[in-house]
Amino acid sequence: MSGTQESGAPLLRVSDLHVHFVAHDRFNNERTARALNGVSLQIHRGQIFGLVGETGAGKSLTAHAVMQLLREPARLVRGAIHFEGQDLAQLTEDDMNSLRGDRIAMVVQSPKTSLDPLTRVGEQIARIHRVHRKASEAQAREKALQMLRAVGIPDPESRAQAWPHELSGGMAQRVLIAMALVNDAQLIIADEPSTGLDVTVQAQILDLLRVTVRTRQMASLLITHDLGVVAQYCDQVGVMFAGSLVEAGPVAEVFTRPRHPYTRHLLDSSPDRIVLGKSQTRAGTAPDLYNLPPGCPYQNRCTRVQDVCRDHLMDLPEDTRHGVRCHFPETA
Amino acid sequence: MISTLYLVLRRAVLSLPILLGVLLFTFMLVRVGNNDPVGMLAGPTAGANEINAIRAAYKLDQPVLAQFVEYVRLVFRGDFGTSWLSGKPVLDELLLRLPATLELVLLGSFVGGLVGVWAGMRSALHANRRFDHWSRFLSLLGFGMPTIFLGLALIFVFFFLLEWAPPPMGRIDLMINSPKLVTGSYLVDALIAGDKAAALSAAGRLVLPCLVVAIVFAAPLIKQTRAIALDVMASDYVRYARAAGLPKPMVRRMVWRNSSVPVLTYGATELTALFGAASVLELIFSWGGVSQFGLTAILKGDFAVVQGYVLLMSVIAIVVFAITDLLIVKLEPRAAAGAR
Amino acid sequence: MNAPSTLAMHQSPAAVGQLHRRIYSIARSTPTGTVGLAIISVFALLALLAPWITQFDPVRPFPNSVLTGPGAQFLLGTDGNGMDVLSRTIYGARYAFGIAVPVLLFGLIVGVPIGLYAGYRGGWVDEITLRVMDAIRVFPSIILALAIVSATGQSLANVVLVIGMLDVPVFARLVRAEVLALRAGGFVEAAVNAGNPTWRILFVHLLPNCIRGAMAQMPIRMAWAVRVSATLAFIGVGIQVPTPEWGAMIRQGADYMISGEWWVSIVPGVALVTLIIGFSMLGDGLEELLDPRRQKGSR
Repeated sequence: MSGTQESGAPLLRVSDLHVHFVAHDRFNNERTARALNGVSLQIHRGQIFGLVGETGAGKSLTAHAVMQLLREPARLVRGAIHFEGQDLAQLTEDDMNSLRGDRIAMVVQSPKTSLDPLTRVGEQIARIHRVHRKASEAQAREKALQMLRAVGIPDPESRAQAWPHELSGGMAQRVLIAMALVNDAQLIIADEPSTGLDVTVQAQILDLLRVTVRTRQMASLLITHDLGVVAQYCDQVGVMFAGSLVEAGPVAEVFTRPRHPYTRHLLDSSPDRIVLGKSQTRAGTAPDLYNLPPGCPYQNRCTRVQDVCRDHLMDLPEDTRHGVRCHFPETA
Repeated sequence: MISTLYLVLRRAVLSLPILLGVLLFTFMLVRVGNNDPVGMLAGPTAGANEINAIRAAYKLDQPVLAQFVEYVRLVFRGDFGTSWLSGKPVLDELLLRLPATLELVLLGSFVGGLVGVWAGMRSALHANRRFDHWSRFLSLLGFGMPTIFLGLALIFVFFFLLEWAPPPMGRIDLMINSPKLVTGSYLVDALIAGDKAAALSAAGRLVLPCLVVAIVFAAPLIKQTRAIALDVMASDYVRYARAAGLPKPMVRRMVWRNSSVPVLTYGATELTALFGAASVLELIFSWGGVSQFGLTAILKGDFAVVQGYVLLMSVIAIVVFAITDLLIVKLEPRAAAGAR
Repeated sequence: MNAPSTLAMHQSPAAVGQLHRRIYSIARSTPTGTVGLAIISVFALLALLAPWITQFDPVRPFPNSVLTGPGAQFLLGTDGNGMDVLSRTIYGARYAFGIAVPVLLFGLIVGVPIGLYAGYRGGWVDEITLRVMDAIRVFPSIILALAIVSATGQSLANVVLVIGMLDVPVFARLVRAEVLALRAGGFVEAAVNAGNPTWRILFVHLLPNCIRGAMAQMPIRMAWAVRVSATLAFIGVGIQVPTPEWGAMIRQGADYMISGEWWVSIVPGVALVTLIIGFSMLGDGLEELLDPRRQKGSR
């Protein structure tokens, strides 16, 4: 699982991201949700960073924020997203748009519905290449075939003529990966790329992702709620809860010696883990993002909570190997 | 090619029972009612014998189903019966007036369709901004206006107040001779014959009623197109296209193309309804079209005409839907797979 | 935002203050719906209070004042029989509501159970119902209404019945679609497995869940009913002059449009259009309120 050197600057460096939702409920009252509360992470070349957490923790939101795809009512209110020396949060929409699909690409959860139903698959890959690299039609077509081959789709010439609804889930997902790679993207953000696929197909897709990342020395942000996937495929992991990244570090470390009570809770709850010591979590549900209390979002479920936890949420220490946002983390 | 032909034939065959059903319904409807054509035909001074003789001659003394079977048999031979009011064959009467209605409906829906779809699309793409609010307001207005009022109001404004439009009495100035019959449309025929005066007059008279048709057609279309486009814009594939950095014009084209099929389907249903609405318009403008003719026939109880008219309307509806289906198959790869 | 002042103003129990605030919020979130409701209320009021607020008897002719323009004596003029247009128009509201409301009730009472049952049963019952409903829909409605009323006798009751019948497929289809959606979610299966008798499932379980979708359609169907009945009356079916019904009045005035006595048609016409738009706006407003997707600021 090595071969991932953390030498040099990270390819992607997210610093203190804050995203707010300003919504109006059906009676026109204004409500603000603090959907992301200071998310910081780094991904180096050749690495796969897994982002885990329950539904609603903000994983997909982080991905969308990095891609600058936030739409009203979601707003980026603070933070920086450094990629290849630029702060994406400061770029114009046009500049950002030229990065999307070119240097940074995304692979999403439901591949079949994410493809344009009225365009043949090969053309969909080709046009991304044409748009960003100003290639000719013939060049783009050739490149599309190349990519189909690279992602392991047999008989690419005839497959390229297929309509999206004719493909299986796994095949469609490979097409999305082909679309992501066609312009030699440096960063692939994969949002639950294998959820919903058959187990064997899941493994194939994730294997493909890993091989691609390693051989091209790209980076990938892999979002999933499946700890097993993280354990098997990721180098680094970040744990999210209620909009905060509460713990981050090398997978092996975080999973064997979790420091945040929520991480421990997640690991304990996973069906195929052995129970590690005494749980430090009370039963409960995810907090309401519109009414987050000040301080640590975990305060109402943590058994180790103290007054300071209710007042002040500490920042995730940057540049630490294994960081945790807790006043009373577990020591090794 | 073969497959599309097959689809068309299949559709035609499947429509037959619907046609028959509709026909039967109409058949019974007109006979069940209070209208008694015999009295009308015989005149007020006829005696009982005469009445019975007429009844027998028109086979009205037979049970309804027998009459129906006889009617259908004749229809297959091209005989749609005779109008009791005019004495002429129904088919001829209907076909004589059909071009007038077609002229109106097709032209009006063409203009209304273009405007409606364009406005609806633009509204969706610039949702909740000024254009959107205006077009939705106008759509609401158009929706609300019953054809009767719209027609009369426009006549009042453009004919009476502004004196721009010609009097709403027919398709051409009474003083000008109608052009030689080729298509049945005065405008087209006048142009073909090179008769400038007639063409101008016919065109002038077309403006107001076509305007009404266009408004009636466009209003619901704006609303529906907007809703459809918004749905498409919120879809996974549009969001993904944005995530892939596709430029705005390309995304917009995607939205257009993916909206076209549902919009077309909706437009087709609206179009068939339009033929019915045209009947009132034709009354107001003394257009002399087939819808007006059918309307009068219903009011006067001219059975054969009513049946023929209903049959004609149903056939038109079927043709419209068949053409729509053909277009859909061309545009939508999923349709060919049999998926609905 | 205004909450503190509202509560302070009404020194009433908290519950009432909450209600005021809620209504105010609802009203603010759909300006369209609110305006629509206001329009309908005004007309409803006019209809109710007609005998007391009209200046003249709507069917009383003034033979010396035939076709007089709007002026001091007859605020909105008189028609071809010398009857006061304003009074007739106000009374016309009675006919509008008198048709729209029973039509809606008929459409609901007949259409909703049909939709519930067809969606619940599925199979060939559903298929046949669907075909019949579609057949009714395919027919150009004006023609159908006309034909039936013509055939069965021209009375108000018949008009109501016929137009109501045309509403039945609309509601049936709507409700059926909702039931199908509920079935897909396993809702129906659960109710059946719990041993509920059919009628209970239909009316106690399914109905409340389906009524939401139907609610936005109700004012729209009422708009349509007003429109169709006026058109029928215009053609000369169902309502006889001198009944002060808007459609009939418009017909009467149509001949005078060309000669310049515009008020005979335009006044009832404006009333007609305004009421129809009022219903449409209410329908739009309800749609906005009830469709969770259309909440402003929802993801």
